[in-house]
Amino acid sequence: MSKKTRASAEEADIDLTPMLDVTFIMLIFFIVTTSFAKEMGIDVNRPTASNTQMSEASKVVAILIKQNGEVQMEGRAIDLKAVRANVERARAEKPDASVIIAISKAAQTGVLVQVIDQVKEAGASNISVASTAD
Amino acid sequence: MARKHSTAEDAQIDLTPMLDVTFIMLIFFIVTTSFVKEAGLDVRKPEAATTEPKVRASIMIAVSETGQVWMQKRQIELDAVRPLVEASKAENPEGSAMIIADRGAPAGVVIAVMDQARLGGVTDIAIAAQQQTQ
Repeated sequence: MSKKTRASAEEADIDLTPMLDVTFIMLIFFIVTTSFAKEMGIDVNRPTASNTQMSEASKVVAILIKQNGEVQMEGRAIDLKAVRANVERARAEKPDASVIIAISKAAQTGVLVQVIDQVKEAGASNISVASTAD
Repeated sequence: MARKHSTAEDAQIDLTPMLDVTFIMLIFFIVTTSFVKEAGLDVRKPEAATTEPKVRASIMIAVSETGQVWMQKRQIELDAVRPLVEASKAENPEGSAMIIADRGAPAGVVIAVMDQARLGGVTDIAIAAQQQTQ
């Protein structure tokens, strides 16, 4: 009786070394594989079928980007840096308007990103991107 | 003499606090690890002022200047984007997609990739950009 209680009391200490080994190896693995590099980006939305039906012509600010990078708004060519001012003015007239950017398939992505950037700076949140055939 | 005996018994260091800390670190790293699948292509990212960090971005699709599509460190066809996105989506349902396009990449390809990713079930899509230096 006395032997049993004594032995169990002495062996009550579980050897934690193997668990510690495994835990440390897992810890090192996760430390090494974790990458905190956050990719920076801008959100884009493609017009979906439901949204296309909803937007009436009167509530849309359309921006067209031609193959050579020329930006057109309301039928006239504007400077890339003037997009923000033009969108701000258009939004003052139509506050709920969504912005649709139609870009030529051959145009450069850099221009598209710059235009989206400027439209966002103008305060528009509902931006859609579509490609045109030419 | 009796006191010396007691120090010999106390020679075992209590590992519990270290284990606690180790486990908390382990859980932290397990939770924060996202296993981002790199696209495997270096591009000149377009610059934008309204970039925001995309923490959940786990599906990386790169588009080169010549319109090549890269995903998971190999060049793929445009048609292969959708199944790969679906597979990534199944692995990590909360992950969003990030299109890393060269600033000279044709916009048509970028928008086609965006469409394919959307068809693959990812609604949160962003275009990678670097913060504009003013």
